Amino acid sequence: MGISVRARRWVVLACFLLAAPLQSQTPVGNPQTFTLKSQPYQRPEACLPCHQRQYNELRQSVKSGYRNVSPLFNGLELAGNFLSGGRLRPVYGDSTKLRADGQPFGGNYASATSYVHINQVQAGFCLGCHNTNIVLKGEDPSTREVPEVNALGNAFLPDTIRPLRDYHLVDASGHQILPAEPGGPAPPGARPSLGAAGISCDVCHNVMSPAIDRSFQRDGFANTSLRLFPSISKVGPFLFPVAVKGNFHVSSGDPDRIDYIRSPTLCNGCHDVRVPGGGSLMAFETNINAGGAGVTHYRLENLSTEWALGAYNSTRNPFGRVIRCQDCHMSLYPYAGESTYTVGGLTVKSPTPAVMAENFAAVPGVSTAYNTPLQRRQVSTHYMTGIDVPLMGVDELRARLGPDYPDPLTGGLDEYGHPTALKQRREDLLKAAVRIYLDKSDKSVQMGGTFNVRVTCIALTGHRFPAGFSQERTTYINLTVKDRNGFVLYQSGYLVDKPHPDTGEMEPDGNLDDEDQEHLIAIADPGRRIVPFQAGPVNNGHTNQVFSPGPDNGPEARVYIGRPAGLVLFRNELTRIFLPGAPANSSLGRRDAAGNPILVTRPHFEETFSAGFANGVDNFRSLQPLRPTTFRYEIHLPTEHELEELGVHIEGPLQVHAQVDFEHFPPLFLRFIARTTSQNGPAGRNLHLMDEQLIDTYLKNNRNIASADLTVDLTR
Amino acid sequence: MMLARLVISLLILLGLAAMIGVERTGGVTILDNWESLPKRAVTRENNPNYPQRNPFYFEGRIDYELLGIDEPRNAWEFAQRGMHKQDDLEDFEGAKADYRQSIQMNNLENGTCQLVTSVPATGFANLTPPPCMFTVRSRLGYLLLHDHPEEAIQLFREVLEIDPLRLEIHALIGEAYVIEAEEAHSEEEAHEAYLKAIEEFKKELALSPVTPEFTALTGDEANNAHVHFEMAEVYEHLGEYGEAIHSFENYLKATRWHSDVYPWRIPLAEKKIEELREKLE
Repeated sequence: MGISVRARRWVVLACFLLAAPLQSQTPVGNPQTFTLKSQPYQRPEACLPCHQRQYNELRQSVKSGYRNVSPLFNGLELAGNFLSGGRLRPVYGDSTKLRADGQPFGGNYASATSYVHINQVQAGFCLGCHNTNIVLKGEDPSTREVPEVNALGNAFLPDTIRPLRDYHLVDASGHQILPAEPGGPAPPGARPSLGAAGISCDVCHNVMSPAIDRSFQRDGFANTSLRLFPSISKVGPFLFPVAVKGNFHVSSGDPDRIDYIRSPTLCNGCHDVRVPGGGSLMAFETNINAGGAGVTHYRLENLSTEWALGAYNSTRNPFGRVIRCQDCHMSLYPYAGESTYTVGGLTVKSPTPAVMAENFAAVPGVSTAYNTPLQRRQVSTHYMTGIDVPLMGVDELRARLGPDYPDPLTGGLDEYGHPTALKQRREDLLKAAVRIYLDKSDKSVQMGGTFNVRVTCIALTGHRFPAGFSQERTTYINLTVKDRNGFVLYQSGYLVDKPHPDTGEMEPDGNLDDEDQEHLIAIADPGRRIVPFQAGPVNNGHTNQVFSPGPDNGPEARVYIGRPAGLVLFRNELTRIFLPGAPANSSLGRRDAAGNPILVTRPHFEETFSAGFANGVDNFRSLQPLRPTTFRYEIHLPTEHELEELGVHIEGPLQVHAQVDFEHFPPLFLRFIARTTSQNGPAGRNLHLMDEQLIDTYLKNNRNIASADLTVDLTR
Repeated sequence: MMLARLVISLLILLGLAAMIGVERTGGVTILDNWESLPKRAVTRENNPNYPQRNPFYFEGRIDYELLGIDEPRNAWEFAQRGMHKQDDLEDFEGAKADYRQSIQMNNLENGTCQLVTSVPATGFANLTPPPCMFTVRSRLGYLLLHDHPEEAIQLFREVLEIDPLRLEIHALIGEAYVIEAEEAHSEEEAHEAYLKAIEEFKKELALSPVTPEFTALTGDEANNAHVHFEMAEVYEHLGEYGEAIHSFENYLKATRWHSDVYPWRIPLAEKKIEELREKLE
């Protein structure tokens, strides 16, 4: 007989009412486990047979391969370890090492479920972003690729540390092999390890969700706030994916995971970097998670926040819709036609974002169960082009990353007819990033008088420009004012060939790409080997050995004094605020004319080139996107008397030329890395990462990514 | 008939597209009125672009509209608005007014700021009163340099009280004395001002000394090219030709590997040295 229809209705209604509160609950944190079938992290080659296109594209991306063997990345990580006493290397769950507060670590940068102490965030800080899965795999000693250092803090032995890339080599059997000496060349027959692949297929396609509890603001931003779970369930961008041949993996149909991988929030998990430590003495920020109040930090990479607060994360932009990270970095951009629009009354023509390729997501005929036919649809490219290019030759890249590693400098066209080589793609991306105008400049000047050149710049990026490691990305205005016959009346953003005795270049070498701009004469202290070791800057450098304003001083003078002259530099700035007190904190690290250390008696703000040594940052030197910003140059012409003395006659009209130049790292920063990892640095041995020859060979200045010209009448 | 309908439909569609102000380029719709759409509401609170003092104020310059400030409420906000007026709007009088207001609210005399001489064991982040700010003072000083050099000098000296090692401030005081000398009512007054300028230029040079280590690392035998050039001109005014030659020579050394924003000054300095040597002979 059963229950009556009416009674059944009451039961159903009661069930709905009881379930309603569950529906309205807000999830707190993440589940700690998943029920998916686990699968070890796969080498990208495992994905190649069915995803050849994506594999080929991803190999051109610096995050997948190059970054892990990069002399700069490896050197910077070592420099941070010298300063901190080895604290940037991972500490695993089976370790006997303790935090500075005497407690066990309770998880490292990648493995902690939530951070309660700065030392956790430091433990694997660099590797944890660039090779998260390798740090996570390290929790199992049998799959550990990067070992712990012998000891931390003042007990650290810098002469025993190896560059991270030493650990990314295996033999034909897959067993780790190390170079004969720390930092030495790859042994014969060496092959790339799993870690050498860096951010490879499985990192993104095994992602489950944002790691809210590990995110300082509980927003899924920064420091790899991703929940990664190595399983056979790979997530892609498509609902109702086709079954995979041989069940090598299954394609997730979880709409939350699909939404996440399609969304910029996936990128936000890594593309803000917040440096743990004392934080910024100009901007207080800490971890808001339970127990995390002591985890203070400052914002190094702020790209995701810039995007999130910017015009592209809204419909208030020329395209009338949200432009995601993927729309520029995983689309056909900048090769899919141009758009014309206005910004602040200025007409801009730039590549169109968000045009995706039509293609197969996998290789037809080999990738689907039962040979189910694949449909062509809008797919993502995987070049993920940015503004970096390897500082290594192709031979060394292939020795460390495999013989099929693509040459970043040369290449053909892909199936869409677009360049494959990273160098060309990066140049094209840079040219899409910014526009400049001289329209607001004075139109005439009297001989011997003063006039204003006004350079208006507009960044066309979704984040500020430059972004990422924006405190090093050297973007600047190169401006010249000449008379009709080419006599140079004013220059800014110019370069001068000069010697670099600090790295053994005793005479100018005819190369301008290894020169810094002339706003500042600075050399960062590389430190030195002192036994016993003591962490901190006294022996390990990072202070400025040389620091003096140059003739083109603009960045500091423009910001702090308001003087409309000198270099316009869009590079953000790391600051060290030296404080009065103990000499270890108050010494600028250089000496006065009498040979005494210069000690501060009041707080002193000074630019530093070390993220580890900074306790302040100015992330507002870069250009805000879609906001015309005008920079004035007040230029004085020589007087008639001065021209007479010079024996020069100048003729109008004056020719004003402005262009934006870009160099991915400042040479002085590379020279710091070269010196601190040399035999004269804190390790006391040459770690074979960088030297003057490498800088001269591979550091290139991208000139003229945007330009404008103007003539100015000269009256007498 | 069909063709006519098609053409009419097409015209209507084009007309509609024009009315709503959009065009299609490269497969993506372009809004030509996007800048008039409502802006995202930004406030001071929970704004990652609005730094929380810790204990120092952010001394740089933030794109003003990112701060979410309707009307400035404190010294730092007045300083930020002043920078916006000075740099973005070229409203120098407005900038001066904001800077003055900022300094009034961050002032040693009325106890609204302090000089930090030590770091307390606890509570440093919340230092009360807050540290005195230097940017607002150096910016106001620079704006007053030509019309009110005396007041500018006073402001620059306040900056040096806040941070005696701050670069370029002594050089600015030197510049201010040069302006005073040029506008002096008597030769004695001018002479005195020039001497004070020299004193300040020397103090500036002392802050980034050319030590043996400096030369060994850089190959430079001098630095601070502009200070040397200005010093040379002052010495020339004072009739101290030997010192003027020395300063021009230092200028040439300082520009040897760095050139100058005004590169014609380099051959000019060489000429000047020749002329001054002739005068000495």
